[in-house]
Amino acid sequence: MLGLFNTLNLGARSMMAEELSLEVTGQNLANANNPAYTRQTVQLQTSTPTPTNLGLQGTGVDASSIQQVSDPLLNSQIQSEASVGGYWNSQQTALENAQTQLGEFLNLSASGTGSTTTSTTSSPDLSDQLNNLFNAFQSVATSPIDPTARQSLVNSAQSLASSFNQASQNLNTLNGELNTSVGNDVTSANQLLSDIAILNGQIAKATASGGTANDMVDSREQDLENLAKLANTQTTTNSDGTISVSIGGQQLVSGSKLSDTLATYDPGNGQLQVQTATSATPLTLSGGSIQGTIDARDGALGTLRNNLNTMASTLITQVNSIYKNGYDLNGNTGAGFFTGTGSSNIGVNSALLTDPSQVQAAGVANATGDNSVALALAQLGSQSISALNNQTFSSACSLDVENFGNALSNANDQVNNYNSVNTMLLNQRDSVSGVSLEQEMANLITFQKAYETSAQIITTVNEMLTTVVNMKTS
Amino acid sequence: MRIAGTSYMDSMVNTLNLMSAKEYQLQNQASTGQTISAPEDNPAGMAQALNLQAQNSAVTQYSQNVSTLQTNATVAGNALTSLQTITEKASEIATSADGTSTPAQLQADATQVTQLIQEAAQLMNTQNGSQYVFSGTNSSQAPFTVSTDANGNVTAVTYQGNTSVSQSEIADNTSLAVNVPGQNNSGSGARGVVSDSRYGADLFNHLISLQNNLQSGNTSAITSTDAPNLSKDDDNMIWQVANNGATQSRLQAAASFATTQQTGLQQGLSTVAGADLAQTLTQLSQAQNAYQIALQTSSQILQLQQSVLNSLP
Repeated sequence: MLGLFNTLNLGARSMMAEELSLEVTGQNLANANNPAYTRQTVQLQTSTPTPTNLGLQGTGVDASSIQQVSDPLLNSQIQSEASVGGYWNSQQTALENAQTQLGEFLNLSASGTGSTTTSTTSSPDLSDQLNNLFNAFQSVATSPIDPTARQSLVNSAQSLASSFNQASQNLNTLNGELNTSVGNDVTSANQLLSDIAILNGQIAKATASGGTANDMVDSREQDLENLAKLANTQTTTNSDGTISVSIGGQQLVSGSKLSDTLATYDPGNGQLQVQTATSATPLTLSGGSIQGTIDARDGALGTLRNNLNTMASTLITQVNSIYKNGYDLNGNTGAGFFTGTGSSNIGVNSALLTDPSQVQAAGVANATGDNSVALALAQLGSQSISALNNQTFSSACSLDVENFGNALSNANDQVNNYNSVNTMLLNQRDSVSGVSLEQEMANLITFQKAYETSAQIITTVNEMLTTVVNMKTS
Repeated sequence: MRIAGTSYMDSMVNTLNLMSAKEYQLQNQASTGQTISAPEDNPAGMAQALNLQAQNSAVTQYSQNVSTLQTNATVAGNALTSLQTITEKASEIATSADGTSTPAQLQADATQVTQLIQEAAQLMNTQNGSQYVFSGTNSSQAPFTVSTDANGNVTAVTYQGNTSVSQSEIADNTSLAVNVPGQNNSGSGARGVVSDSRYGADLFNHLISLQNNLQSGNTSAITSTDAPNLSKDDDNMIWQVANNGATQSRLQAAASFATTQQTGLQQGLSTVAGADLAQTLTQLSQAQNAYQIALQTSSQILQLQQSVLNSLP
């Protein structure tokens, strides 16, 4: 027998436990739309039994703790997927940008309608411009002394050169932006590392005093996921509830201590890489947006920039070596057609811009109708060039576009894959840790009813006590 | 499976995003008529399309070359036909000038031959635009200059052009020379229009000789030398006219070949990169329907959730 007073206490404890549960339900409902929130439940346990002559008798309920309902395995899977997602997302963004800057788009209605009109109209893409240049050489070869054909050759060459310049400049700018983006990502990663270390300290303090720090754990989980998007991390959970974080094999957070941070460095070619700040150890990252950006910059974009430059420099040398031997309408020879050394500075001999009669189309002096140089230049368009891996100029251009397209299309596929896997994982985690409105509403009723009935016990005991007290007076 | 409150919204937004992306893509295809617009759409197809475009552009250029050459050939052909008339007329004069002709008649014939020489020189200086068609590759130079004496008799006609020809491409690896040298006594190369040592043709000198012999009344020289010489010139001119005709028909054939090629290449392009409109539009309307249904389902689920909350006391 507990006795009436102890039963009164039992009722009161029960009411407190139900009230706490109600409070936690309130917290859950309040955070129903917070994606970082892990739902919490109150752990109830029977309170310490009292020895009676009937044996140990229960004394009601106590709230022992407020626990998070989470699945650590799912969390770690989501973290590692975040690295994959960060990696491919940054590649996709970088390459999408490069695609726009390259301006190599297909427009069938512009070129495919069977028009036999002049093909030297200005159009933004390199492959078209290359075709136009060689066609213009053909026109000059067919009408060597026609000033219109010469003028249109100079114009075509001029637009090709500016297209090369434009593409080269655009891609250089993009390269610079990617370097900036690596720097920005490193700054964000350092901020997150420091936040994680601080949260670790707070969590360790709370756990040491026997409590829980659920909401800080949630914040730290979100920081870890954001960090994983930037660089793939290895984490270990320590006994005091702290989580140590390593990136690329280097430990950066151990417990509440931020042992090192990330920094960018220039290996000498202006293309930023990542190392640890104090120990200056170069890091090889295998995922995350930092590495994704670096790989896009040095991979598909780097190749594209190189190939573009090779194509421009090959065009300059090949055209000039033939052209130098030609004679213009005034019998002069020896000048170059293109100036510059690569895609960034290719240009047309400025004398030709004002006077197309100086185009050296003839193979011999004083034979203005001779077209052998113009013809050789026109035929250069269909020749395999060893500097371009035995491709013609136009097929090398298509091949570059294809290789670049493959890289971007692969990034697109990977991003799609990541999105489906990530959605699935997030759904799984939500099904464990997310707040279900229906469930919380049902809990609300349960706790309310339990609270009411516990109160009823107190009321009843109170009545019984009154009865006991009144036994003497009556 | 336990469904969290946010899951509905998240998956609804996800699904709708995916559907709009598909719809956007299809709409783009329908409006441009292309399945490939950017390299990412289909890298291999894009490369193929670019190669086809390059070929198409080259063929378009060939057909432009052909049409330029056709103009050239027509101009040259017209001049050659007139020249043929001149050589025929000169041959007639040479044949008719025999011992029975009166000196006055011979003088009149001589004047006519002088005019024929002038006329022929003028024809040989025919220009297409600023280009002299019969000066070999020395195209800015009038090929023939006529020297006359005080009496207006032609003493010499000198050739200023060269013996070269220029080749122009009319198809892949196929080139054709349209211009012809007015004179080629080098013994090799293209056949000269008025003078070629290999065929005994030397129209102007033969005409000058005829003119001089007519004036001096040397009919025996005309019969023995000038008439046979002029007949060689006549043969040469017939060959030139025929050759020009052959060139023109070759050009005609090249033009129609280019047109056929262009049609084929454009068909290839539309196979590689073109969108089948009927299919695309059907898919688009399917995608639009699916989107509508997804929206309706989502709003029903939200209503259902609302009614669950309302039904609780």
